[in-house]
Amino acid sequence: MTAEANWRIGVDVGGTFTDMILVDRRGDIRVVKVPTVPSDPAEGVMAAVGKAAAEIGVPVEGLLGDCALFVHGSTIATNTVLEGKGARVGMLTTEGFRDSLEIRRGQRDNPWDHRTPYPPVLVPRYLRLPVRGRVDRTGAEDAPLELADVDAAMRVFKDEGVEAIAVCLFNSYAGDGQEVAAARRAEAVGPTRWVSVSSAVAPIAGEYERGSTTVLNAYVAPRTVGYLQALNRRLEERGLKSPLLLIQNNGGAVTVEHVADRPATLLLSGPAAGVGALSYYAAAAGTSDLISMEIGGTSCDVILMTAGKVAFTSNLDIGGYACVLPSVEVHTIGAGGGTIARVDAAGMLQVGPQGAGARPGPACYGLGGTEPTITDAQVVLGRLKPGTYAGGAVAIDAALAARSIESKIAKPLGISVERAAAGIIRLMDQKLLQAVQRLSSERGHDPRRFTLVAAGGAGPLHGGTVARALGCRHVYLPRLSGAFCALGMLHSDVRHDYVRVHFIDLDRADPRGLETIFAALEREAIATLHSEGFVDGAARCERALDLRYVGQQWDITVPVGAAFDPATIRRDFDAEHDRLFGHIQPGGIIEITKARVTGVGRLPPLSPGAPPAAEGAARPTDRRKAWIDETSGWQDTAIYDGGGLAPGHRIEGPAIVNEQTTTLLVGRDDVLVVDKSGNYSIELGGVAE
Amino acid sequence: MSTLDPITLALVQNRLDHVARQMGWVMIRTSRSPIFNQSHDFSCFITDAAGTLVSQADGIPIHTGGGGFAVRALLGAFAGRIDEGDVFLLNDPYVAGGNHLPDWVIARPVFVQGKLVAFTCNRAHQSDIGGGAAGTYNPQATEIFHEGIRLPPLKLYERGQVRDDLWQLLMINTRTPHLLDGDLRAMIGSTRIGAEEVASTVRDLGIEAALANFEGILDHADRRLRAALAKLPDGVYRAEERFDNDCFEPKDIPLVATLTKTGERLTVDFTGTAPQIRGFKNSSVANTYSSVYAGIASFFDSDLPRNEGTFRCVDIIAPEGSIVNARPPAPMTMCTVFPAHEIMHMIWWALGQADPERSLAGWGKNSFPNASGRDANGMTWVMYNWGGNSGAGAAGARDGFNQMGPMITLGGLTIPNAETYEQLYPVKVRRHELRCDAAGPGKYRGGTGVTYEVDILTDAEYSFRAEGLTRPTGLGVRGGQSGALATITLTEKGKAPRQGPSYGIWRLKAARLTIESPGGGGVGDPLQREPARVLRDVRDGLVSPQVAARTYGVVIAADGRSVDQPATARRRAEKQPAQLVPPAPLTSVAT
Repeated sequence: MTAEANWRIGVDVGGTFTDMILVDRRGDIRVVKVPTVPSDPAEGVMAAVGKAAAEIGVPVEGLLGDCALFVHGSTIATNTVLEGKGARVGMLTTEGFRDSLEIRRGQRDNPWDHRTPYPPVLVPRYLRLPVRGRVDRTGAEDAPLELADVDAAMRVFKDEGVEAIAVCLFNSYAGDGQEVAAARRAEAVGPTRWVSVSSAVAPIAGEYERGSTTVLNAYVAPRTVGYLQALNRRLEERGLKSPLLLIQNNGGAVTVEHVADRPATLLLSGPAAGVGALSYYAAAAGTSDLISMEIGGTSCDVILMTAGKVAFTSNLDIGGYACVLPSVEVHTIGAGGGTIARVDAAGMLQVGPQGAGARPGPACYGLGGTEPTITDAQVVLGRLKPGTYAGGAVAIDAALAARSIESKIAKPLGISVERAAAGIIRLMDQKLLQAVQRLSSERGHDPRRFTLVAAGGAGPLHGGTVARALGCRHVYLPRLSGAFCALGMLHSDVRHDYVRVHFIDLDRADPRGLETIFAALEREAIATLHSEGFVDGAARCERALDLRYVGQQWDITVPVGAAFDPATIRRDFDAEHDRLFGHIQPGGIIEITKARVTGVGRLPPLSPGAPPAAEGAARPTDRRKAWIDETSGWQDTAIYDGGGLAPGHRIEGPAIVNEQTTTLLVGRDDVLVVDKSGNYSIELGGVAE
Repeated sequence: MSTLDPITLALVQNRLDHVARQMGWVMIRTSRSPIFNQSHDFSCFITDAAGTLVSQADGIPIHTGGGGFAVRALLGAFAGRIDEGDVFLLNDPYVAGGNHLPDWVIARPVFVQGKLVAFTCNRAHQSDIGGGAAGTYNPQATEIFHEGIRLPPLKLYERGQVRDDLWQLLMINTRTPHLLDGDLRAMIGSTRIGAEEVASTVRDLGIEAALANFEGILDHADRRLRAALAKLPDGVYRAEERFDNDCFEPKDIPLVATLTKTGERLTVDFTGTAPQIRGFKNSSVANTYSSVYAGIASFFDSDLPRNEGTFRCVDIIAPEGSIVNARPPAPMTMCTVFPAHEIMHMIWWALGQADPERSLAGWGKNSFPNASGRDANGMTWVMYNWGGNSGAGAAGARDGFNQMGPMITLGGLTIPNAETYEQLYPVKVRRHELRCDAAGPGKYRGGTGVTYEVDILTDAEYSFRAEGLTRPTGLGVRGGQSGALATITLTEKGKAPRQGPSYGIWRLKAARLTIESPGGGGVGDPLQREPARVLRDVRDGLVSPQVAARTYGVVIAADGRSVDQPATARRRAEKQPAQLVPPAPLTSVAT
């Protein structure tokens, strides 16, 4: 990690485009876009590097050799799951428990939707094979492991062409001896080197979730790790000196080498990079209490950061499969520019969650879509201008937008096309508001203390309305809204999570016992960080305990200091419980369930750029009628080109700003300000102090 | 109603549903008992000031649309004496609109500008409420007095002040006060958060407009079900179910539902259903209505609203003194499972005659005992053996779920991890695996059910309430066949295994409990099942090669990995004529 080098490069491989962001030492940002090569995503990455080098006017080796940080936001693990293209996995379980993966605890998202089958189980029953042996809930051996059963299973796996193995034995979170022994045997005699072990991947209690996570890990491993290793080699061959970094579910970066055993930690890689973006914009926005609302074509991802920290969760659902690795808490709803509006059989307007996708997309794209979408409503309301976007990749036809809203919404409801379009937007804004509330007010955070960051291509059209409904006084709109996560990747520290299940009453816990556990986890964390080149001040550890009142099934993670102090821990736990749930159990028995250590390797932060200040007032390039909100209705609205706006510019609403990757809407009583870093902030009028 | 702004209406509907769900999240995360935070046996709902249920976006299916009975009962009892800050509690199915005693309802009036505008409520199954057996289910009850404490509508809080004396009364009437205390607080907390949100919704719109929109939400729901009914042919559709015991002795006890569909209305008539019985499988009015509603809602599209407006076009005739509308003092704690399961089955099978494409096979009925005992500190523990849940029936174009939470929750009740149970209770779980040849065959087969085996390491009391031991319960439809029977086996250390009864209470020393849970029913002729699916089932060990050949007409090749296509074609051709004779009755009640 050579700090004196110049470039930082972030690459995001999307379904259609591979986006690259380059930031120089001064913080100036350059964006490069090339088509994705689905058959070999690395090809697209190399093409982007080539294009960037050409634009800067240096050879590829010069660019990569002068690169301090190369971060890759890869959806390859996620897509492997969503597209069902993972490895053929064989699973070893304790005799009697081979079916927990398929029973899935009977959980379905919506019980009423009982006609929809589960997504296919990732390991068929005939490849989930039992082995005899057992440890009890304390980790002590009940019955010895029968290695002959492992050998027999390996013969089946060989015959069946198994490409990766998941080992998940009963109670292994409490004692991993048998599981590790079975895994070693599988590696020795089995058909593949890809062996995922549950006590290493996700050492938590609960055979279903631990097993599911381990299977996901095995399922994505060969393709994901293979791709990343190959890309890393190619970049090294072309001059990259620092290792390729990936963003994990926990929002932290990691090297290919260290993610090779746990590629499932990349399953939420995309949205988790939003954490880095929030930290980055925190400096510019002047607050570390932020809520991001990143809206793309199909979905909206919400992340809440308070005092510079984000909440973590261990309950992920990836395409219907459970994954319990520590992850940034991202609340995702199906609400984006392509989300479809419809009127149900009894005349109620509905928005989403179905979307029109990239193809056919909104009706106004003229690619065959006839269902009205959010984007179509924005066009009808004059907020998006007809014409070509993204260098001609998309053309918007206002007549098609109006026609689809007319026939599908306005006529059935007996209202005008404009009223219908406004209704669609209001319902969308309500869904966005509820998504933000889900992480804020419902978790005891008063949203009024936060600055809403509205990002993603579609976010800055909704930010003002949602922020006002939340009672915020500001909303922050990054100039590069469409590259929110790519930028975030360049502003992330390296993070490694370690966890050990440990059940004991808080008040009866032996401090020495806990210290032994923490110390062991920390040794592991520090050793890993050292091997990555983080030494002295650049490497540190954070401790936390998972706690609950006895009988509860949900834990609260509470950070703890180096000295074990039950009174402080109880106070912190009660405070957090009260914030989350509105009550505490005075004197209740608090149970420790897990000890956690996070190793953090500090990467030099990215500093926001400082573009030259404005000279003279901002001038609109156009004016047109646009629907602003329910109170203001249609307004004669000034249109600005973002390229002409610089730090110091203030624009009174109503106004619309066209930016390279997004469009901003400024309400009638609001004022848009360009800050020192060149990003936008809207001061919302009429919001009580 | 046509004067309402359609956009505002949609916004209000979404907002109320969001509030109800929000109440549910609070409940899940704050309650103590696994039955809530793991199994979601509760429902949060919002009624208007008259007690008409407007939103129940959160909640288990068997509570569908029944909450209004409770609120209307408290309105009757406290007319003119309802104040801001009051919190009501009730449970009694005879006098308080309850569905059964363990489900306690907390109802909080919502005031705006001094006017009562709504109630926010939480109906939740308590861990223990006294009565003749720990854990709320007393299979030996012959009167409601044996089933726990009866609560008429009462004020638990008066103008914001908790009634401590009453709280203490509740706490000494439960075997698990440590759970009840926390769970009640969680219920109360959820209604408080709901009330704040509902009040703010009403304030934003103005009282009059808000109430008009509540009415508009009910009207919309009404139109939704009418539109669905209008598509079905008019006619009379009849279905039957049975109990094979009255909780004490074998008996043939019929349940009958006759559905008459005329235009946009549906009448559900239970005439012909047996008189109320001695044991606790009688139903309250609230529960019978909820069961009908749940059956209807789950038959149609999953996004059908489920407020009381939805069911305005449904008339229910429940003869007084029958199983579906029992008179005091008949016991009825089992009603949310039995006869709720039977009622939902009958609704499905009758509607399936009107709309065969949407046919739903039967789900295996619950057939597992609960266990309870005392821990080292003398505290009572109650363990629901949810790991012994049944296989679900096939539906339209999918196989039955191999194991699912009870049908009356449509699987919303989550099955616990065995590792978690070993942390919570003095047990070692030995096995939790799918059964072979237990799924009801069909073009789409039923769920397999499971074998669930657990060693209970201490003295314990076993409370039995099994409906699937003596005749198949996951019945097949449209030529599909029924799932296998259940078995319950108990083996005390050093003694011979004994078969558990359908109903009753046993007290045993440390024992091994083995449950084979019943399979779900199939839909359609098994000879039409895709051979590749049969092969997969054989490879998975869920269907034996013998049954594949005999029932599905699919011959597996010698390698065990492929279908013997010619032999299969021959076999299916041979079997086909026999299957062509009379189409199997739509409700193939097993004999």
